Amino acid sequence: MKGARSIAILIAIVAAGLLPACASRRVQTPERPGQTQAVLLPDSDSKAVGRAIVSNDPGSATLAAPRESTVVSAGNPPGPVTVLSESEVERLFGEAVKSLPPGPQRFTLFFRFESDELTAESRALVSEILVAVRERPVPDLIIIGHTDTTGTSAANVELGRTRALMVRGLLVEAGVNAAVIEVASHGESDLQVQTADETLEPRNRRVEISVR
Amino acid sequence: MNPRIWFGACVLMLAATAVSAQEPAAIGRVKIASGSVFIVRASGLVPAQAGQAVFEADGLRTGPDGRIGITLQDDTRVSLGPSSEVRLDRFVYAPGDGQLGFVLRMIRGVAAYVSGRIAKLSPDAVRLETPQAIVGVRGTTVALRVTPE
Repeated sequence: MKGARSIAILIAIVAAGLLPACASRRVQTPERPGQTQAVLLPDSDSKAVGRAIVSNDPGSATLAAPRESTVVSAGNPPGPVTVLSESEVERLFGEAVKSLPPGPQRFTLFFRFESDELTAESRALVSEILVAVRERPVPDLIIIGHTDTTGTSAANVELGRTRALMVRGLLVEAGVNAAVIEVASHGESDLQVQTADETLEPRNRRVEISVR
Repeated sequence: MNPRIWFGACVLMLAATAVSAQEPAAIGRVKIASGSVFIVRASGLVPAQAGQAVFEADGLRTGPDGRIGITLQDDTRVSLGPSSEVRLDRFVYAPGDGQLGFVLRMIRGVAAYVSGRIAKLSPDAVRLETPQAIVGVRGTTVALRVTPE
């Protein structure tokens, strides 16, 4: 009993000795050295240029034109916006940019009112989808069903799913590996044409297929 | 300990187990992998190869000869050059429930990002974080380079 007690006291002493060390380690978080450089690039397919806002506590910088860039060091606001040459972009960022997978190919199929039956034009598109799938080394597909705003939103999630599954069935039947197809429904929550509720709109009754 | 607190703790632990037992859904796939490339998971390093699924909270790490490119559920694309590392901190893509979010944390090296549907539907839901700054995007392509001083 006495032995156990002295061990307990010993542990307490050791712990007390360690405590200040732990506490001081927590306080002395060193500022991380290093810097970040950001560059805005045009989209490789559409050539569209978006916008990037680079910010930290001390400030922010907006990149809005092709190859605009800023450098940020820890604790300082982003540096002045400069335009990099194409060869500088290649030298600094080329290894990452050339590793980007090819962009998705998107298709939209349209449906007849309140049904899972494709319009005639959309039926003809199916073979183009198959070509896109075969062109890719490791293809995967996302199929998303959509509806117009006629009916309840819950029923439309169901209908969107039914449509997406119908398209999935078509593609699998044509030889696409079912394991690489993902199916979802966004119901009436992602309209292609904005309408009021309870509005018939053929352009919203659709399934979007992204081949990636 | 108060038995009521014990009971609460047990309920919490059971809930946590139930959540972790749920099969997580893949958020995207590796499309390009060359050289030494790894997916960094809580369970350890997994060598990455084309076609492989990636999950929320996964990290991507490349060696000095490595390059990797992934495509996520919403068509967001992310790639890394050599000696680089990022983490897919958050990826939520459920527009049906209004749930959207993408947070990419860059740890080191060089990376490129091409926005997908999440950025289109909710630009404020996308954040690229580095140790020195946060980058918000309004569409299209951004490349980042994080270097030690």
